[in-house]
Amino acid sequence: MITTLQLTDADGFYERLLDAHAGLDKAQSDLLNARLILILANQVGNAQVLADCIAAARNGVTGH
Amino acid sequence: MTRSPPPVAKPYTTAAHTNGYEFTQGGGYVLPEYPFVPPPELTHTGPLRRHPVVIVGGGISGLTLACSLARLGLPAVLLDEDNTVGVKGASSRGICYTQKSLEIFHRLGIYERIAAKGVQWSVGRTFAGNDEVVRFDLREQDSFNLSAQPPFINIQQFYIEGFLVERIQTLGHVDLRWNNRLVAFEQTAEGATLTVDTPAGRYQIQADHVVDATGSASPLRKWLAVPFDSQRGDDRWCIADVRFTTHPPVERHTWIEAPFNDNRAVWQHLMADDVWRIDYQMAPDADPAYVSREDVVRERLARQFGPDVGVDIVWVGPYAYRSECVHHMRAGRVYFLGDSAKVVSPFGARGGNTGVSDADNLAWKLATVLRGLAAPALLEAYHAERHSAAVENVRVTGRTARFLRAPEGVERLFRTAAISLARQQPFARALINTGRMAVANPYPHSPVCAKDTGTSVQNVGFQWPDDTTGCLNDLLGWSGIRLLLLVFTPTLSPALCKTLVSLTTLTPVSAVHVLPAATRTAPTPERKTPPPHMAAEHLIDHLGHLRQACGVSEAQGDNHTTPWALVRPDGYLVGRGHGLDGNLVDTIALALAISPLDDPHSTT
Repeated sequence: MITTLQLTDADGFYERLLDAHAGLDKAQSDLLNARLILILANQVGNAQVLADCIAAARNGVTGH
Repeated sequence: MTRSPPPVAKPYTTAAHTNGYEFTQGGGYVLPEYPFVPPPELTHTGPLRRHPVVIVGGGISGLTLACSLARLGLPAVLLDEDNTVGVKGASSRGICYTQKSLEIFHRLGIYERIAAKGVQWSVGRTFAGNDEVVRFDLREQDSFNLSAQPPFINIQQFYIEGFLVERIQTLGHVDLRWNNRLVAFEQTAEGATLTVDTPAGRYQIQADHVVDATGSASPLRKWLAVPFDSQRGDDRWCIADVRFTTHPPVERHTWIEAPFNDNRAVWQHLMADDVWRIDYQMAPDADPAYVSREDVVRERLARQFGPDVGVDIVWVGPYAYRSECVHHMRAGRVYFLGDSAKVVSPFGARGGNTGVSDADNLAWKLATVLRGLAAPALLEAYHAERHSAAVENVRVTGRTARFLRAPEGVERLFRTAAISLARQQPFARALINTGRMAVANPYPHSPVCAKDTGTSVQNVGFQWPDDTTGCLNDLLGWSGIRLLLLVFTPTLSPALCKTLVSLTTLTPVSAVHVLPAATRTAPTPERKTPPPHMAAEHLIDHLGHLRQACGVSEAQGDNHTTPWALVRPDGYLVGRGHGLDGNLVDTIALALAISPLDDPHSTT
């Protein structure tokens, strides 16, 4: 899992992510996020990298 | 041991249907009945009779084991608590049989009857709402296309059980005892003692090996306090086995969210006698009595197929599933088979087919050990191989169940996301899980298979020198309980021939000379009387399928190496190599558990 910067335009990505949710209700917004996770997961592909990413994401929420 | 001729039940040609609706009861089919014959032990006095193998339970797993032992000529007793196949009052159970099961049934001699009665299918389609989101054709997949048997045949389970009974009656060796109910069991270092109730009284027998094929409500597991893992969900389904005035396509259709079933899942599958299985997912809090009431079932069917379609209801059964898996497939002298060892949800046909493979795995091991050709440690490998298969099947079916019964909240959110993406992007179709169809489980960590083997060899075809065709099962039928050695070489030199004669004389191996496709001369040295365990004729791998199915590389043809593959009586590859050398001898010993089990892979 890569933890250093890979994004070619970090601020631009962040803005685009927020804009994508504009005008959506909570359910639509949740669905967009879920779809996005699945699409991005397929770009990554590697099962071990994805497992590390999921663990890292959860770690920041539960602390372990 | 003398035995009177087996009682012959009237064979049935086709199941008669009652058109009446049977609420969660059988009666939709007329099942064959077998006569009770008082066992000799009832009148026998003196010491208890001892049998090498006693099988408890005459379902698909127990009967497959019994038929396999009968084919190998090993005597056994089978106890069944009633007098028919199928479960009284619940005639519809498994319907979908895998290529591996069909290959096993072919070896047992009942495949032709199954093929004639059942329905072949290979296309599966999955829908969400009104859209098709996934479609597959198993015939287009490499993993299925080498075998003489099709990917799947659908047929009511009791037909297969009935065919097995009749086959066992023809083969002999196995004493089928109907209306014999096991009521008590104990085992010591000396043997197992079984107490059996019959309509004519109670008797006891002793056994060296006992096979528990009593199914998901196994009494033996309770008596022996066998530890197991269990998981129970709240998913509820209701099966309707029906006949129509119209004919749906010969395909497996699944709906994740069916508009005609309140956006819950529906299965549409076919079987023999033009009967269709329509399986409806119900609300988790649904009342089983209500959802299987005739007017409710008819209303549901009308919503799916239209109000004008005539429907005969053959059988209806509401069910909930659980998953269970024992920690060990053996407890002393008792081996757990099929549903006695593990139960799974029905998704992917991983119940009955697993039981058939359990039986096929255990049969040759019992036969080889009892005949003194293998070490008793081989029987422990039944656990190693089939427990890993059970665990895998529990895991795979559990994932499907989780997809299909996705609770509201994040699990439903991701399923909705996956379905919506599957309509647009091919990758997401792999996430749609309405059942991963059962396969012949590989045994990558088997203590009795060499590294990178332990895979099932498909029942591939080849040519005999006279241009007639044969298949791997013909060879396995010939080699019986011996290991089958395939030697891939264009020319069998006198030196190689001498080695093979020694090998097949000194070890329980039968050898066949396999010629590559291009060679059409007859290079096997002429012999007036071939050694008993060497095939009299070579065979021609005209399409290269045998080599391919055994994973033997194409670099054959030069005389410096002699590629070989060693196949067990259950059609699993146990080793391969490139010369008739010490590695081959080590592999034979490994396969028969004669070499130390602690480091099986040191032979490579």
